[in-house]
Amino acid sequence: MRNIIKGSLASVLLITVLLTIGCSKENLDPVPKTSLSDLTVFDTKDRVVAQVNGMYAFMKTGAFLGGRYYVYNDVRAENFIPKSSNLVTNYATWNHTVLPGTNEVQNLWGAVYAAMNAINVFKGGLETAWADGKLTGKVTAAEYDQYLSEALTLRAMCYFYLLQLYAKPYNMNAGDNPGLPLRLIANKTAADNDLARSKVSEVYTQILKDLNDAEPLAVASYSSDLLNTTRVHKNTIIAFKTRVYLHMSNWPAVLTESAKIVSAAAPYTAPSGVAHTLNPGFKDIWATPYTSKESIFSMPFTTTNTPGGQNGLAHYHHPSSSESYYLIKSAGSTYSKIDDTDARKLLMVTDGDGRTFVGKWRDFTTLTDYAPVMRYAEILLTYAEAIVRQGNSVTQGAVNLLNAVRMRSFPDGEYALEDFTTVQNFIDAVLLERSIEFLGEGIRNMDLMRTISTIPAKAGGNMGDVSTIAPNSPTYIWPIPQNELNFNKLMVQN
Amino acid sequence: MKKILGIFSLLLLTGSLVMGQTVQITGNVKGSEDGLAMPGVFVQVKGTTIGTITGLDGNYTIAVPSSAQSLVFSFVGFVTHEETIQGRTRIDVILKQDLYNVDEVVVVAYGTQQRRDIAGAITTVKGDAIQSIPMQSFDQALQGRAAGVSITMPNGVLNNPPVIRIRGINSMTASSYPLIVVDGVPIATGNWSGNSAITNALADINPADIQSMEILKDASATALFGSRAANGVIIITTKRGSGARTRVTYDGYVGMTEPYRLFEMMNATQYIEHKNKAWQNLSGPTAPQLSLVNDASGQPINTRWSDYVYRTGLQHNHSITFSGSTASTNYFLSVGYTDQEGMIKKNTYNRKSLRLNLDHKLNKYISLGANASYTKGFNQAPNTGASFATAGAARLAFVLPPNIGPFRNDGSYNIEGSALGRMGQPFPALGYYNVAAIFELNKFTAETDRLLATISASVEPLKGLVLKTVFGMDNLSIESITYQSPVTGDSFGSNGYAGSSMQKNSRWTWTNTINYNTTLFERFNIGLLGGIEEQYNVNNWWSGSKTNVSDPFFTSYQGSWVTAGMGGGGQGENYYISYFGRINFNYDRKYFVEFSTRRDGFSGLSVGNKFGTFGGASVMWRASNESFIANTGIGEIFSDIRLKGSYGRVGNMAGIGDFSSLFLYGSGVYGAIPTLTFSQAGNANLKWEASDKYDIGLSFGILNDKIQLDLNWFYNDINDLILNVPQAPSKGIPNNSIPANVGSMYNTGFEFTVTSYNISKSRFSWTTTFNLSTLKNEVTELAPGLTELIGITGGLETTSRTKVGYPIGNIYAVETRGVDPTSGRRIYVDRNGKEVLYRHEFPAAERWLFKDGSGYSTGISIADGKIMGSPLPKVYGGIDNVINYRDFDFSVNLTYSLGFDLYNGSKAGLRDQRWWNNSVEVYETAWKKEGDITNIPKPVMNDNISNGSAFVISENIERGDYMKVRSISLGYSLKNLPGDLSIERIRLYGQVFNALVFTKYSGSDPEVSTEGGSNLAPGIDRNTAPQARTYTLGLNVTF
Repeated sequence: MRNIIKGSLASVLLITVLLTIGCSKENLDPVPKTSLSDLTVFDTKDRVVAQVNGMYAFMKTGAFLGGRYYVYNDVRAENFIPKSSNLVTNYATWNHTVLPGTNEVQNLWGAVYAAMNAINVFKGGLETAWADGKLTGKVTAAEYDQYLSEALTLRAMCYFYLLQLYAKPYNMNAGDNPGLPLRLIANKTAADNDLARSKVSEVYTQILKDLNDAEPLAVASYSSDLLNTTRVHKNTIIAFKTRVYLHMSNWPAVLTESAKIVSAAAPYTAPSGVAHTLNPGFKDIWATPYTSKESIFSMPFTTTNTPGGQNGLAHYHHPSSSESYYLIKSAGSTYSKIDDTDARKLLMVTDGDGRTFVGKWRDFTTLTDYAPVMRYAEILLTYAEAIVRQGNSVTQGAVNLLNAVRMRSFPDGEYALEDFTTVQNFIDAVLLERSIEFLGEGIRNMDLMRTISTIPAKAGGNMGDVSTIAPNSPTYIWPIPQNELNFNKLMVQN
Repeated sequence: MKKILGIFSLLLLTGSLVMGQTVQITGNVKGSEDGLAMPGVFVQVKGTTIGTITGLDGNYTIAVPSSAQSLVFSFVGFVTHEETIQGRTRIDVILKQDLYNVDEVVVVAYGTQQRRDIAGAITTVKGDAIQSIPMQSFDQALQGRAAGVSITMPNGVLNNPPVIRIRGINSMTASSYPLIVVDGVPIATGNWSGNSAITNALADINPADIQSMEILKDASATALFGSRAANGVIIITTKRGSGARTRVTYDGYVGMTEPYRLFEMMNATQYIEHKNKAWQNLSGPTAPQLSLVNDASGQPINTRWSDYVYRTGLQHNHSITFSGSTASTNYFLSVGYTDQEGMIKKNTYNRKSLRLNLDHKLNKYISLGANASYTKGFNQAPNTGASFATAGAARLAFVLPPNIGPFRNDGSYNIEGSALGRMGQPFPALGYYNVAAIFELNKFTAETDRLLATISASVEPLKGLVLKTVFGMDNLSIESITYQSPVTGDSFGSNGYAGSSMQKNSRWTWTNTINYNTTLFERFNIGLLGGIEEQYNVNNWWSGSKTNVSDPFFTSYQGSWVTAGMGGGGQGENYYISYFGRINFNYDRKYFVEFSTRRDGFSGLSVGNKFGTFGGASVMWRASNESFIANTGIGEIFSDIRLKGSYGRVGNMAGIGDFSSLFLYGSGVYGAIPTLTFSQAGNANLKWEASDKYDIGLSFGILNDKIQLDLNWFYNDINDLILNVPQAPSKGIPNNSIPANVGSMYNTGFEFTVTSYNISKSRFSWTTTFNLSTLKNEVTELAPGLTELIGITGGLETTSRTKVGYPIGNIYAVETRGVDPTSGRRIYVDRNGKEVLYRHEFPAAERWLFKDGSGYSTGISIADGKIMGSPLPKVYGGIDNVINYRDFDFSVNLTYSLGFDLYNGSKAGLRDQRWWNNSVEVYETAWKKEGDITNIPKPVMNDNISNGSAFVISENIERGDYMKVRSISLGYSLKNLPGDLSIERIRLYGQVFNALVFTKYSGSDPEVSTEGGSNLAPGIDRNTAPQARTYTLGLNVTF
């Protein structure tokens, strides 16, 4: 009988337990501890600023301005040979065999559009939060303008960079060719997969609109050299406009923009805003802290924020890397035209097999060398070219600009006005100077494209020879990635 | 009505009489086969809880109420015997061995049932069947043992979780892995390691502790697991003690394991001859020349790189158990130790495990139970798997040139920076690593600690009414340690790398049930179950890494390094609350009906969508219990005829993360400045994948159950599949995808199982089990506007497509039509059906030539591809034969898979015309001159297109059909040993595991899955480590 009582007691207890365990409410609604919800990202100024920096982080991914973008634009051109035939390290780009499914073709597209959407998401969120008064007391009107200007500038850069590989140059039919799908508002849902390509000219129009909208909103300068090098300010926007107009062969506009940031006489300096100027020593541009006044815009790296294994510029240009690219040195090559005393040649490194590397990026161990997006040297050379092309005659002013860049590294290499018997002589000299000055910085292929030049052949030794690619060849530009064609039904192949 | 009332009052009377006078009954129990006394037999007064257990001599004494009608004698493996008392005080019985397992009790969701009362599709695999298999976890050994269950070992690396598919692939982007329930508690599964030392969470259960494994396949069997039931459920029951005598067992084996079917590669002489020709075909007579290189003794180097990757591994395994019971308590203790070397060098697995299972009857009403196991596992494995990694050992075993070696003549490593050195040969940089060096220098380990424990209490206040509470814990922690040397390999560039990660996963589950079973009017059997279950999971992990070692002496994260990385980690949690119930009812064990339902709430879903309801129902007609069948000719031939049908709707939530419904921002840095970036486009409408499952079954025995057959047809209609719906990359959505419930597909097939007790004499028995399953899968819907899903291998190669109207995960390739005998070029078929030849040595614009001479094609790419094969076997199963003759036992276990294709991606590498070594087949049969009929085109140095490296070609798709002799074993038992040794039995056996493979597949092994459990890229063989063959010698001793 006692047992029955005990049993009953126990069962009563058990039933009570059964009934009282509740579905505890908070257990069903956990909050993530390592991410923030979209509802809270405009709650503080720090979070807004972190979002601004987040846009740059997207620009800086390894597939884009963190490293690979420059490599694509260099190895397509005539100056390099890969050590490795690994398809992951851009071998197909080098020998012009990329296909719509090739990794770099898909990865770059994805990385740049991811950056653009991040920019559009931020820009849209910022505008809404501002309009709703959520930022009152946290962000000033000037700061609001500044953030918008950064967003617009970065978006313009994204479109510009994509055009260079995935669309025909503007100078073919004044941009009357298929360009890119213009994505200008944030995508957060499954809608709107299909969007047709705008024309090249329309994309350029958008780029210029963004840059022109951004310029008056931007800050003149930041509080440190680091920020002046790694964040967008007024002179960054102007500098980028010179590049955009250069690619459109809009010489008057190049002149207008260049004049804003280049003083009338040497030493050439930006008269307002960040005082950009050539760094006296070429070698020092490539050393810590990478924030000389020459560096208009660079992507920063630290040991805890690296471009990643097969992305960093040092991976592609360091002799210790088994997947790096070395210079073609045969007669007629760019290398063969550099004087032995030239600082740009002295920076180069040659390995035991006699293979020579550009030497600009030296931290192969941690890949923390900054990646240069734009240097002041480019502005001067662009300016010089525009002066001559616009006036259709070689001027001393243009020669001086060219000399400023050339003689910094090669003091004995001074050009005289009379060295140039034709305009073309001068243009050739500028293009050669750009090829030498920006080896490894991704300028060369863009120069070939904007001048509608044939991509020269390469004697690749063990890697096989690569023949010329004429401007009318289908491989002159990259194909549109297969995954875009798969999921955007309005997309058309190049 | 009067009659019924009468019966009712009689029942009540019987109940009250229990309290009356008692009578002492004694007796003895013997076995029918050997006539020996049987200890540990449970003797019970029918209809009461009064019972006892026979002693060592088989004798028993029991005090029974004078009203008692009969005694029931039961013992595992024997037919339960009922004896009416009829006033006797001595009752001796002989128990008949249950030769045909007809009385089997089967574990079902939250309970047990008699096998013959079950309408659902459940297959039982006994622990004994898998105990001596030389693998790491029980799931690996289930292969071929149950109809409808397909198990694939993805490769030959130790302790890899197998790909388990119950009735086909049931999801697209979520997991198709079944729910694993151990002693009533769902446990964590899968690989949680942070590096290449793979760990299978199921290896933390010592296979020797397993009593039985029940595989629940249809919705009526799984419905009580609700939202997690769609992939099927495997219920593991660990052993309990029984028998008055303490039984001690020792099981152990020693073994060796080795690879088989390795590729036959060109030797150094063949290699230089072939590659020099290829080089000349590219660049003409001025092409560089490869040559033989001499080693220290002046002999030409001829390296078999596979010798530096594979070995014969040694293994040994031991387990000791103690078990027994008293009238109120039973116990099972076990200790296990296994130490296994894999056939891949530096691949080892070591496990130490302890278990204590205890049940105690506190009194007539209350029982307590506990299961606790603690396991320590240690895994070490080099990087073998990642298809395209330059460190991937499986590929390094065949890709590296044979005319250079791993060591220079001075004994140092032959390296150039991160890569293998060229020894003066005119290669471009090799890029691939020196496998001998990285094996010796680098180390990848993962150490696991696992606690699995449950405590339960149950109360039976009234006969048939049981209230039970079970609290279970599953704590899993894994420390993964990686060290990569600065000397060469992956971390040469960073001057060394050390990384550690810690993964802690803890879960508790609390289940409370009320169960009531009763019989009304003698023939109405009713069972009721109700319950509430809560489960809470917390997952925390962190990782740290350091590079640039300050002194090569340091090889651990804790050592001295110059550069510390940012580290990583994650924190997750989720919670389930579930309410469930089951009603089963049968009339006279002829007509059976069962309903189950479960309502699940899951924290990972969005507010307002957290709950879902699932359920199933079944009916069964046991025709053989009808007198009009039993008493006719049919009843003489056929026995136990059961016709079954079930339907249910269950879910799969594996694709739903802890926070999948939310729009999230992640944080990082830009240089040294913090960032916040849009990182997840959530879907607030996300819910479970749902499966409507239909099952019709027929079971019957022939010749008094001597042959037992089981036939099932099933149809699973899977809806609301969660697809990570691909977004146009130009939208810039993180990961280019948003999860949504949009797809549907179905699986249907037949399952056929025969168990035939061919011979069952006491000295000679032969049992054959045969199972065969068919499977048809078809995708019926993808997201609106989405025509296909892409499956990717190794993050690089687009190998697979899933399209509406086709099975899931087809192999997608550009069609090729062999080699043009005239030109020696591979013939491709472009999207318009035109044949195109590829000529690598020509300028880019002239490489792709229309075969009909109509000019140049703009080039072939995967965009010209089409579906060229399905890797889902249409038919699969196993055949098991067990023969006992006198003291010998022999068993052979076969598995087979038929009607499927594989993508032999390794073949693209084996024939690639970069400097990579090629198979001897290439040397012997590559096109040489006009008129040659071959599959291998004219070799041109650096040609990575013609043999399928650049994109998948149909040349590399092969039929995968195979039959494997999974295991053969031969044993000899010593019984009736001298009593003073107190040894009951000794068995010695030898076994060969993965003994033979019959296949036309040219890869290493047709049982392969480079992408592991991926639903969208199954059947891929891309640089995968082959399987191992293992020989063991074992000993079982029972004291």
